[in-house]
Amino acid sequence: MRRSAAMAEGALLEAAGLRLSLPDFSRKPPFGAAPLVDILHGIDLALAPGDTLGVVGESGSGKSSLGRTLVRLHTPTAGRLRFDGRDITNLPEDRLRPLRAQLQMIFQDSQSSLNPRHRVAGIVARPLRLHRRVETRAEARRQVDALLERVALRPAHAARYPHELSGGERQRVGIARAIALRPRLVVADEIVSGLDVSNQAQILALLRELRLDLGLALLFISHDLSVVRTVCDRVMVMLNGRAVEQGDCAAIFAAPRHPYTRRLLNAIPLPEVDPDWVARTVDNELGEKVTMKVKDSVALVTGANRGVGAAFAGALLDRGAAKVYAAMRSTEGYQAPDGRVRPIEIDLTDHDQIARAAAECGDVTLLVNNAGVNHNQPISADAAQRNARDEMEVNFFGTMEMCRQFGPVLGANGGGAVINMLSILSRVNLPMIGTYCASKAATLSLTQGVRAELAAQGTLVVAVMPAAINTRMGSMNPPPLEEPIDVANAALDAIEAGEEDIYPGVVAGGVSQGLAADPKGVEKQFAAYLPG
Amino acid sequence: MSAAALLSVRNLHLAIAGRRRHTPILRGVSLEVAPGEVHGLVGESGAGKTMVGKVILGIQPSRARIVRGSVVFEGQDITHLNERDRRRLMGRGLGLIPQDPMTSLNPAYRIGGQIGDVLRLHLGMGRAAARTRARELLDEVRIRAPDRVLRQYPHELSGGMRQRVLIAIAFACRPKLIIADEPTTALDVTVQRQVLALIKGMQAQEGASILFVTHDLGVVAKICDHVTVLHGGRVLETGDTRRIVEAPRHAYTRALIAATPRHDRPGDLLQPVPEALTARLNAEALAWDAAQRSDG
Repeated sequence: MRRSAAMAEGALLEAAGLRLSLPDFSRKPPFGAAPLVDILHGIDLALAPGDTLGVVGESGSGKSSLGRTLVRLHTPTAGRLRFDGRDITNLPEDRLRPLRAQLQMIFQDSQSSLNPRHRVAGIVARPLRLHRRVETRAEARRQVDALLERVALRPAHAARYPHELSGGERQRVGIARAIALRPRLVVADEIVSGLDVSNQAQILALLRELRLDLGLALLFISHDLSVVRTVCDRVMVMLNGRAVEQGDCAAIFAAPRHPYTRRLLNAIPLPEVDPDWVARTVDNELGEKVTMKVKDSVALVTGANRGVGAAFAGALLDRGAAKVYAAMRSTEGYQAPDGRVRPIEIDLTDHDQIARAAAECGDVTLLVNNAGVNHNQPISADAAQRNARDEMEVNFFGTMEMCRQFGPVLGANGGGAVINMLSILSRVNLPMIGTYCASKAATLSLTQGVRAELAAQGTLVVAVMPAAINTRMGSMNPPPLEEPIDVANAALDAIEAGEEDIYPGVVAGGVSQGLAADPKGVEKQFAAYLPG
Repeated sequence: MSAAALLSVRNLHLAIAGRRRHTPILRGVSLEVAPGEVHGLVGESGAGKTMVGKVILGIQPSRARIVRGSVVFEGQDITHLNERDRRRLMGRGLGLIPQDPMTSLNPAYRIGGQIGDVLRLHLGMGRAAARTRARELLDEVRIRAPDRVLRQYPHELSGGMRQRVLIAIAFACRPKLIIADEPTTALDVTVQRQVLALIKGMQAQEGASILFVTHDLGVVAKICDHVTVLHGGRVLETGDTRRIVEAPRHAYTRALIAATPRHDRPGDLLQPVPEALTARLNAEALAWDAAQRSDG
């Protein structure tokens, strides 16, 4: 993505921070506007003349919407779009029209993108007439014949209707129409997905030939990485409206960095006999563990100035982390224990500040949501409402916003991991600190949701549920207490082993077993701690 | 012909009746599927591979005429079954996983009803038993919330989910042979992988045979035991998958392999099927037709 700045000089097409939201009519209320749904979340790309960029992703990844936005069939919601040095982000249609000749699109469904009432000759001649490139009928006819020959169709095809053609032939008509005006950029959206391999190979060979002859820049959208590899020099992998990986085909196909790219590559059946392929992929689908190395990671730890947070920072440094962002409400008076530690101020109740931190710490691969508050009060306490809101604000909403803002950062850096410091009290309520337990239970549910949503980008999400920890913060809990460094090390062991839920220490382990065997019994036991 | 074959297609000739003449579609197709085998039927569009599947199921278009040859299933000639015997055979003997998950389910009925119908019709189950078994089947095809899906309509499901439902229906009556007609062509690669794993898993569990119709040699290489290569309604080559993929004998099979894009190879190695080869094969087919006419 950083290429775009470097390439901006010679770029034919350039997109920066391109965003798109469209109305979701499936959720439109009977009266009033349909709610907007975000399709593209800030796409950067640059295409030089003659460049080929493949855009891959699955249905719903936003790749077609990106293609349509780049040729301004959609108007971007935010970001900038430049063609040949001109800003076309919001250019009105009448001023866009002359540019359309240079900016063509070939559509996925050749059946529905060719007018069924027009003959092939009329379909191919239409852009020539609209853009006044031909004066007479004879001239149009001559040009159409030349174009049909160019795409290896016979002159006899000119008199046929689209339904009389095969899928491959129709796609050739689409190509002839797209190159009629001698464009400089063509966006080809899934143009071979409905074709069998031999037709596909012919269309791809034709596209390559045309591209080299006419010096076209090509944005090639496909769900098939094999096809992209045969057509493109560069590739961009999209997931949920974001580019998770972008670069030279040769490099990315040799060593994909992002787990999603690897997943796509592994899913392609190469024509090589491998009887175990199916079984192996089933195993992967059901139980392959995502793991992460702590060595060389870049971590961000909240509440890093004391207690478990400080223990995390120390353990990370011990295990060879490249950098640790030590986040805390105020860095005043904080002494960094090591040169690799960068103090940063994050107040978890300030969501703008979290967003700024995510923008600033773009290299984070491991997020440790450790900070939390505990008012140490029962639900019957006078201040319980206020306490509960305060605990939810930090423990739940703070963690949620951290996950929301840093999720894409982790995705962009290859998946990474999130550690949410919860408590065994997420699983069972200790009424003497009831509001705190409730906030932690909510955060456990949140953790499961985050885990499900970030699974596609390969992010490991770990819930750490220890019993009471020996810090100066909580002193009224029953013994024995866990040491902060043991809890931190257990959590880091978990991400290296790919464990998702851990209960460090004897007490937490015992309670977790108890919950599995007799949840009601454990609840009663904890209720008995109620003072009085 | 080996006696052990579950299905034998023997010298099948099929032509579409036109006003002036018949257009040959299948030109003497023979193939055998053994019990428990996954047999790939490969070819490009127009090769006649889908038609072979339709004739086996007895659902070829009314204008199609079986000129010669037979389909033998479990030792019984099923080429010209009457409707009642055909219905008895479908479901328990033969199943189908169709290509298009969008149009193969009835949009007006809930999923539960559509699976239940199959069970009640072919196995004579009662309504409640059918519902219980439908739920089990959805569970077997790894649908996570079977109770919800039973109540849903086809349009509420994704393409991959619909294909799972169709697989559930195909396996519902434990058929001995399933015709899978390009069942993953319309799916994303990751969903395709899951669906292939599912089909193969169900096949192994039930011990069924599958005739797997596809144009994708990659898919063939991963899940088929044997392969038959079809072009212009003629069998060009048949054999063990490894032999076909690693040492293809027919020039056309080699050309298909060379035309398959691979993500581990740059694009300049991709070769379309040479026009001269296609022209030669078409000429062979026409010469063959002429020879048939003079014979008959």
